[in-house]
Amino acid sequence: METLCAQQGLSAQGSTFTARQGQRFVPGPASCSGRQHLPRAAQGLSKGQTYIQNGSRSCRARSINGKQPVVQITVSAEGPNGAPQESLGVVAEDGWIARTLAAYRKDADNAQTLPGPLEEMRMDCTAALRTQRMPTTRNEEYRFTDITPILQLEPQVAASATVLPGEAIAALVEASPLKEAAARVVVIDGVVARQLSDTDRLPQQVFVGSLRDAPTLPAAQHLGKQARLRGSPFALVNGATAEDVLCIDVPEGVTVEGPIHVLYITSGASSTVAPRLLCMLGADSSAEVIEEFVGPAKGADTHFSNAVAEMDLAERAQLKHGYVALEGRRALHMKGTLVRQAALSSYRLTEARLGGRLTRQDIFIEQVGEETQTDMGSFLLCGDEQLHDLHSKLRLEHPRGTANQLHKCIVAAGRGRGVFDGAVKVEQKAQKTDAGQLSRNLLLVPRATVNVKPNLQIVADDVKCTHGCAVSDLEESQLFYFRARGVDAATARKVLVYSFGAEVTGNFAYAELRARIQAAVDKTLASVPVLEEPNAQIA
Amino acid sequence: MNSSAMQHSSHCTTLRGTAYVRQTLCCNRRIRQGKRLLRGVVTLCAGKVLLEVKDLEAKVAETGNTILRGVNLTIREGETHAIMGTNGSGKSTLSKCLVGHPDYEITGGSVTYKGEDLLEMEPEERARAGIFMSFQSPVEIPGVSNSDFLRLAANARRKQRGEPELEPLEFYGFVMPKLAALKMNPDFLNRDVNANFSGGEKKRNEILQLSVLEADVAVLDEIDSGLDIDALRDVADAVNGLKRPDSATLMVTHYKRLLNYVVPEAVHIMEAGRIIYSGGLEVADILEKDGYEGIKTLIKKEAAAGREPVAA
Repeated sequence: METLCAQQGLSAQGSTFTARQGQRFVPGPASCSGRQHLPRAAQGLSKGQTYIQNGSRSCRARSINGKQPVVQITVSAEGPNGAPQESLGVVAEDGWIARTLAAYRKDADNAQTLPGPLEEMRMDCTAALRTQRMPTTRNEEYRFTDITPILQLEPQVAASATVLPGEAIAALVEASPLKEAAARVVVIDGVVARQLSDTDRLPQQVFVGSLRDAPTLPAAQHLGKQARLRGSPFALVNGATAEDVLCIDVPEGVTVEGPIHVLYITSGASSTVAPRLLCMLGADSSAEVIEEFVGPAKGADTHFSNAVAEMDLAERAQLKHGYVALEGRRALHMKGTLVRQAALSSYRLTEARLGGRLTRQDIFIEQVGEETQTDMGSFLLCGDEQLHDLHSKLRLEHPRGTANQLHKCIVAAGRGRGVFDGAVKVEQKAQKTDAGQLSRNLLLVPRATVNVKPNLQIVADDVKCTHGCAVSDLEESQLFYFRARGVDAATARKVLVYSFGAEVTGNFAYAELRARIQAAVDKTLASVPVLEEPNAQIA
Repeated sequence: MNSSAMQHSSHCTTLRGTAYVRQTLCCNRRIRQGKRLLRGVVTLCAGKVLLEVKDLEAKVAETGNTILRGVNLTIREGETHAIMGTNGSGKSTLSKCLVGHPDYEITGGSVTYKGEDLLEMEPEERARAGIFMSFQSPVEIPGVSNSDFLRLAANARRKQRGEPELEPLEFYGFVMPKLAALKMNPDFLNRDVNANFSGGEKKRNEILQLSVLEADVAVLDEIDSGLDIDALRDVADAVNGLKRPDSATLMVTHYKRLLNYVVPEAVHIMEAGRIIYSGGLEVADILEKDGYEGIKTLIKKEAAAGREPVAA
C-alpha cells in the first residue's frame, strides 16, 4: 500500500501519484520544495517563448500530416487589409499552426474589415507564430499533458461569420441562467451575439460588448499586450485567429453591482474557435466577471476551444473572476488567463472545471504595484478519459502582497488524470509578502493519476510563505466529526467526496451556478464504484 | 429550563435526602489498594450507572506521550459532573477517549457504558448508542449543509433505536421545535456545517446536535470557551433543558461561571492524567479563590487529618 511517487527527468519538484490496484485514500508523501529553479524555457518567463526545438519534432508532424511532410501554404496577396509582406511564403514552420491559420484566412477573405486593434493583434501574433512550434510532452510545461488530440484535429472554420442562434443554442442559453447577473453576454464560437446579450442594466459608463461595436475604445489599445509577452503558444494562436473580442471596460471609480455573466457557447459548426476577452478595470473600480463555457449541442464532433482572457486591474481595482467549464466530453479546451495587477488591487479567481476531454488553463498573474491581493481557487474533477491541467504562475515583485491559492482535484476514473503546476515566485523586492499555496488531490479508483507540482520560489528574505500538497485522502478531522455523530465512515466519505469541491465553488454566491456545477459533479461521481455502496467497508 | 433542574434535584432528594448527599460529597471516600487509587466515589443519586471509567490509561497515538494515567469516574443517570484541571492535565483527552478519537490509544483500564465495553465500539457505534461529545473547536465542512448533516446523524441514531428514519420534510418537523427551544435561527439549517460560523454559533450548533441526537451521556468539552455572558447563559439554559432523568452530563471547563448556570453534583479535579480530588460545587469555589494550589493544600490538610491520603 504505498504511494507511487515517480520523479523523472528534469523536473526535480514534480510528483506523480498513481492509485494502484487495491489502494484507496492512502495519504501520500507530497514532495515539494521551495527554492529550486526551473530552466527558463520551463518557466516561460518574460523572455517570450523559447520552447526547445529538435529534429524529432518534424517526424511528429510527418506522422500527423500523412502525405504532407512539410506544410507550406502560400496565400494570395489580397488579405483583408492588403497582405503584409511576411505572409508571402511560409506562414508558419509548425504544420498545425499553418493549417489553423490557413483555415481562418480562408474565412477572412469574405469577412468584413476588422477593428484596428484586433487587426494589429492578429498580424503581430501571426508574425510571432512563424517560428513557433507547438509543444510536445518533451517540453517541461507539457510533460503530462499530451496535446496530440488537438494537433490531430483538422482545423475547419464555418464559412458564415455571423452565427444565427438556432434552437440548440437557445436551449443552452436557457439552461444557463444567472438571475443575479448585471449583464449577460453570449459569445457563440468566439463571436459576440448581440441578439442574445443583455447589457441594459449596466451603469452607463461601463462598456460590455464586441470590439466591433467600439473600435475606438481606448482600453482596446491594451489588447494582446499581455498575451504577446507571457502567453502560451495557444494564446498566440488565439491572437492570430480571434474573429471578435469581447471588451469589458469599467472606468475609474465605477462599481458594477452583480456579476457580468459571459456565456461562451461552442456551436459545433467550426472545429476550432478562438474566443477572446479583454477586461479593463479602472482605478477604484470593482466588478465580477463569470466566464462560463458550455456546449456544443448534442451529437457534435470533437472541437477545440482556444480561449484567452486578458485582465488589467488599475490601482485599488477589485475583480472577482469566475471560470466555469461545463463543455461536453468531446471538447478540447485551452484557456489562457493573463492578469496584471496594479498597487492595492485585488483579484480573486474561482475556477470549476468539469467538462471537456482535454482541458488546460494557463494563468499568469503579474504584479506591478505594492500590496496586491491575489486569491486563486480551483476545483477540477477528472472523470473517465478526462485530463484537466492547471498551470498557474504568480510573480510577486513588489512588497506587501498577499497571495493565496487553493487547488482541489478529484480523479474519479482510472483513465482520468489531473495535472497541476502552480508556481509562486517571490522576488527580491517583494518583502513582507504573505503567500500560501495548497493542493489537495483525491484519487478515487486504482490507476487514477495526478501530477502535481506546487512550487514556491522565494528570493526575498522577509516573507511569510506556506505551501502544501496532499494526495489521496479526505481530512481526518472531518471524517471523525461525522463518525462522532453516528454516521458510518463509508457514508461520511461519500458525503465528503461529493462536497470536496465546495470549499472552492462555495465562493460563487449564486445558487443557480452552484447547482449547475454540483449537477455536473454528481453526474461524474455517480459512476464511481467506491461511492456506489455507502455501506461498503473501506480498508 | 429551571423547572427541569428543579425536577432533577427533587428527584435526588426523594431518593436520598439532601443532607445525605452533602455528607457523601464532603466525605469524598476513596478506596485504595496498594499504591494505586482505585476509585473516587461520589455517591449521589441511586440511579443506574451509565458510564464507568476504571483506571483508564491512554497515550497520544502519534508521539506515544502518555496522557491519562489511571482515571476513575462513575456517572449515574440524572447526574451532572464537572471536570476541572490545569492545561494539559488530560481533561480533553479523557473526553476524546470516551468517544473514540483516533488520535489517542487506550493502553489500560476499562470503560463500561450501560454494561457494555465502550472501548470495543467504533466511534459511530458509541454515538448511536447515546454518547455525545461536543468538540472544543468543531471542524468546518464546506459543501455539506447543516440540515443534511443533522439528518444523517439523527437517522443513524434512530435506526439504532429501531425508530423509523426521517425524510427531509419530516426532519424539518422534528428539528424545528428543537431549534426554537435553543433560541436558534432556522437559517442555521441552510448553512454549511460550521462554515464561517462565529465561535458562539459553533457552540450552539454543537448543542443543537446534542439535542437532535438525544444523547444519554453528554460530554461537553469547554462548551463555555469563547462565549460572552449572554451566549453562555443561552448555551447553559439549553444544556439544562436537555437534561433528562435518565441522562447524564459531563462538563469539562476551566471556569466556575459555567457551573453557576449548569450546577453539577460533583466536581472532579484532574492533574497529570488522574482525578486527584472529587467533591461538590465548593471545590470549584476553592479553585476560583486559591487556584490549584488551594486544592493541593486541601488535599494535604485532609491527608493530615487522616481522612484520605491522595496520590501525588
